[in-house]
Amino acid sequence: MPATHNVTELLAQWANGDEQALDDLTPIVYKELRQLAAAYLRKEQQGHTLQPTALVHEAYLRLVDQKQPNFQNRSHFFGVAARLMRQILVDHARRRNAAKRAAVSVPLESVVSFEKERSGDLLALDSGLNVLEKLDPRKCKAVELRYFVGLSMEEIAQALAVSEVTVRRDLRMAEAWLQNQIEGG
Amino acid sequence: MTPERWAEIEELFHRVAESDPASRNALLDNACCDDPALRKEVEALLARDGGVAAAAVEASVREELQNLLFPLTGKTVSHYQILNGLGGGGMGLVYRAQDIKLARRVALKFLPEESAKDPDVLRRFEREARSASALEHPNICPIYEFGEHEGQPFIVMPLLEGQTVEQFIHAQGAPKGPQQVQKVIDLASQVLKGLKAAHEHGIIHRDIKPGNIFLTADGQSKILDFGVAKLTHAEIEEDHLGHERAETATTVKSIDLTVSRTGAVFGTAAYMSPEQVRGERVDARTDIFSFGLVLYEMATGKRAFGGNTWPVLQEAVLRATPKPVRGLNPEIPARLETIISKALEKDRAARYQTASEMLADLEDLQRQLAPKHLPRAWALRLGIAAAIFIAAFIVVLAKKPKTVSVVPEIKLRQLTINSSENPVIGGAISPDGKYLAYSDTRGLHIKLLDTGETRTVPKPEALKDQSVKWEVGFWFPDSTRFLTTLHLATEEWGEWSSVNGSIWAASVLDGAPTKLRDHAVVAGVSPDGSLVSFGTNKGKLGEREIWLMGPNGEQARKLYEVKEDSAMCCLGWSSDGKRYWYVLTNASSDTMLSRDANGGAPITLLPSSEMKEIKDIVWLHDGRMVYAVAESGKGDACNYWTMRLNLATGKHLEEPRRLTNWPNFCVSSGSVTSDDKRLVYSLSSSGFHTSYVADLEAGGTRLRNTRHFTLEDSDDVGLGWTGDGKVLVVQDRGDGWSLYKQSLDSDTPEPIASLAHGGTLLSGATSPDGKWYIARVWPAGESAEHFGIPLQILRIPLAGGAPETILQLSRHGNVSCARPPSKTCVIAEQSEERKQMIVSILDPIKGPGPELTRFDFDRELAVLEVPTCVISPDGARLAIARSPESPIEIHSLHGQLMHKIPSQSVGELLMLVWSVDQKGLFVTRKAQNGNELLHLDFQGNVTSLRRCIGGETCFGFPSPDGRHLAIGDRNQSNNMWMMESF
Repeated sequence: MPATHNVTELLAQWANGDEQALDDLTPIVYKELRQLAAAYLRKEQQGHTLQPTALVHEAYLRLVDQKQPNFQNRSHFFGVAARLMRQILVDHARRRNAAKRAAVSVPLESVVSFEKERSGDLLALDSGLNVLEKLDPRKCKAVELRYFVGLSMEEIAQALAVSEVTVRRDLRMAEAWLQNQIEGG
Repeated sequence: MTPERWAEIEELFHRVAESDPASRNALLDNACCDDPALRKEVEALLARDGGVAAAAVEASVREELQNLLFPLTGKTVSHYQILNGLGGGGMGLVYRAQDIKLARRVALKFLPEESAKDPDVLRRFEREARSASALEHPNICPIYEFGEHEGQPFIVMPLLEGQTVEQFIHAQGAPKGPQQVQKVIDLASQVLKGLKAAHEHGIIHRDIKPGNIFLTADGQSKILDFGVAKLTHAEIEEDHLGHERAETATTVKSIDLTVSRTGAVFGTAAYMSPEQVRGERVDARTDIFSFGLVLYEMATGKRAFGGNTWPVLQEAVLRATPKPVRGLNPEIPARLETIISKALEKDRAARYQTASEMLADLEDLQRQLAPKHLPRAWALRLGIAAAIFIAAFIVVLAKKPKTVSVVPEIKLRQLTINSSENPVIGGAISPDGKYLAYSDTRGLHIKLLDTGETRTVPKPEALKDQSVKWEVGFWFPDSTRFLTTLHLATEEWGEWSSVNGSIWAASVLDGAPTKLRDHAVVAGVSPDGSLVSFGTNKGKLGEREIWLMGPNGEQARKLYEVKEDSAMCCLGWSSDGKRYWYVLTNASSDTMLSRDANGGAPITLLPSSEMKEIKDIVWLHDGRMVYAVAESGKGDACNYWTMRLNLATGKHLEEPRRLTNWPNFCVSSGSVTSDDKRLVYSLSSSGFHTSYVADLEAGGTRLRNTRHFTLEDSDDVGLGWTGDGKVLVVQDRGDGWSLYKQSLDSDTPEPIASLAHGGTLLSGATSPDGKWYIARVWPAGESAEHFGIPLQILRIPLAGGAPETILQLSRHGNVSCARPPSKTCVIAEQSEERKQMIVSILDPIKGPGPELTRFDFDRELAVLEVPTCVISPDGARLAIARSPESPIEIHSLHGQLMHKIPSQSVGELLMLVWSVDQKGLFVTRKAQNGNELLHLDFQGNVTSLRRCIGGETCFGFPSPDGRHLAIGDRNQSNNMWMMESF
């Protein structure tokens, strides 16, 4: 079965409450995102900053059957993709940190402090989101869609089936709260 | 937190955040009167409301994505510091990088790993790419270097500004209107010129495609990746039938791979010629076909052959006739359509046979499209009108503030390769660009730039027994003679003046320079060569008088004189000789003025506020000024800028524009050819800690062949040797360090260990078994007052791996090790009351061992003071200096005095290192201008090895075989360089 049919169907099943469908969907989307990232490089995007938005939109076009575009499918797809983008990037940040730490022996660590890096921000954001998800899953989702996929307010509203005003309020609250968590306020 | 509580917080947060700020307090008071915890939560959120979280998070997401896709970002590969990813070529990643060695920006392009597997293919590719680069053709992008990083080959190219033809077509589509059509024809002609040059030298590209042709921002076409195609396809080189058939299969297979991996046909396959598809031998006409396809696409905005799968495409290349060009874009002239069709003939014999044939047709077409020729007289008059118009236009343009400046690819060439022991003093290029006159501590030289042949100008008889320094001044316009100022060798650059200076003329023909005048320094030569300006009569600030004389020193007369507390320098002429400019110095400032050569009031060209940072001024013949400006806050770095001034009015016609941006270097002594195309200058590194290696001769008392060892232009110091004879180099980054090892015959350091916030690595010793470097580390963030508490003693595995702490010293100390067969290392540290040095055994694994002895001092040691106490290579003796002035003592390991070296003559002593033969020591002596490295034998004989340039870093470590000395010093090399197309 071609990937597009598969994904379209899985999205539909998931929308109907089949949780197993999500488990089947995840590796397909994950693989596609990574492949797309690599393909982007081959296309000589000289001088262009790669945006996660572009990657996810392209993954959607490639994976979901465009002959039967479906609002709900699209929203669900972005939800999965946002989570996966977050996972890919956080995993990578974590690996980079680990590689750096491995360069130093244990006894020294007590006297050596590491420069706080951007990857630190991302990891702090990730753990903040983990807490937020338990408190308020919709806000967590909104943040993921905003930052890891780069969706517009309108698109997020569609994906979460709420009004744009609600999305703005959700993000305002979540941003302040996350900022507090990250900076240990 | 309960969902109810969360909801409560959220509700109040929004209510307050959306309210009028003035009423917020009241709102909060009201809502939380009995719940201070709620108020605290909400206030914490309000404090963060509208923060910058969004932008920061977006930035870190983007950055992580970049990191994910461009894993080498921020790393150093060979001597390239990778700055960021630029994209992916058809084959591998491309990075923007800084060439640390040559201080320029480059592009690093990685090639597929498979290509490195066959060394024959790699060598052939390299040979071919080198020969294409060697053509130095403006339409061929050169490859600077070939390298390999963790098994992946890469090429280093200039960093071009602009876009590939692929991007150009994507952005612009088919050309609209005659101007765009002409641009396409112009770009195509340029590509053909590049192809023509390559083909004439037997070099075929094999992979011409839109992604391989670059259009620079200033309108040049450059063909990229010559030779690279060899790496990616199996090619047929031999015209041998049996061989051919075998290769055919390989070719097709490799294409299939490209296709299946990406799911679509990319670049290469889509621009193949029929003979490539068939797997036949390629020749120059193959490139012509591929370029025909590129031109087709440039003209129409569409690919000639569609098809996204290999079989469809293959069929099309072999048999299909592309849609007529003019059918797709009627604006294309019929003649261009014919040219493209002829390039796309399936049968090579029917195609253009050479690039120059095709070029000739295109140039014909260009002429046809150009405006019709006018009668000669008209053209002449129009030409004059146009010139006036252009001049006015330039002025109008110049008035606009220029904020963005793009320097088209500056071409740099190093002209001299003097070591830091013999730095170039200065030099000047002859007006015709043929010669470089330059001087160093060994004398005055003339270099023929075409061949590199260098002649040392003989020293005049009269100076035979004198030690002198030549300062190259100015060339006469005929490019056969130049003027120099002679100084006493004992005078440093800053002390030079007319007091001991004299002016001499030297010739490119044989013979020694002849003296023109005593007590004078040369200031300039007029454009027609009839006048020489010079300074004389030194006052407090410099020369007080400017004089003029004839080219042979005749008819000298005074032009200007300033008061005792002022000075004048550098009188030069405008290119028409009608005005001259000079710099007036008084106690507080410099001012640049200009004056009509026939008299009149001086005009201020640059006021003192602008002159403050200016170090070197070169006037170009087109009226531009190139000058060096010190970089604020970057040590002694200075860079070239350019601007245009009206010499008669002082008006700025063009705002200053930066030409170079080199950290750690300073330019000076600039000169320019009469066509303004080549600027020659001396480039000095502004001094950083670095390493040298020298051969030891005469029992360690003589250094030969001292050479700069490390490439980095950052602080790095040779600290010792590995057991197998590699130099250990530590790179200090201020807040951390990295340790490398490097073979004597290599210029690539191999990393051993690195700490990001690991403080400062101080010298230690290599363990006798060669497994460890035992280092002392001064922890980060400690100031000198608290230095030594605690001092970390680390063992760093020399085979790579994590450093580990052996012990911490609460007082200062040092470490030294014997050489095999001995296994002993010792640590000497201050006693608690700081009146003794305690010497103990140190084992790199087990840590501190039994105490060996103590040395008493008749005073309390300073916190920072570590009387050097080092073990001999055989592990039987200790050398100690109880104070910087006292004689060096040799003791047994248990403290029995065996010998005192009568070393009063050494003076203040800083560091001791045993020589390998144990007959002497390498000693650093404190000297007035920088320190001195000495060899001291046991009889007290002192031989100077090196006068270090500066600072505390000045020491030598002998190699295990005793044949070389690794030296730590500052680097201050100075060489002549040339800049073109600036």
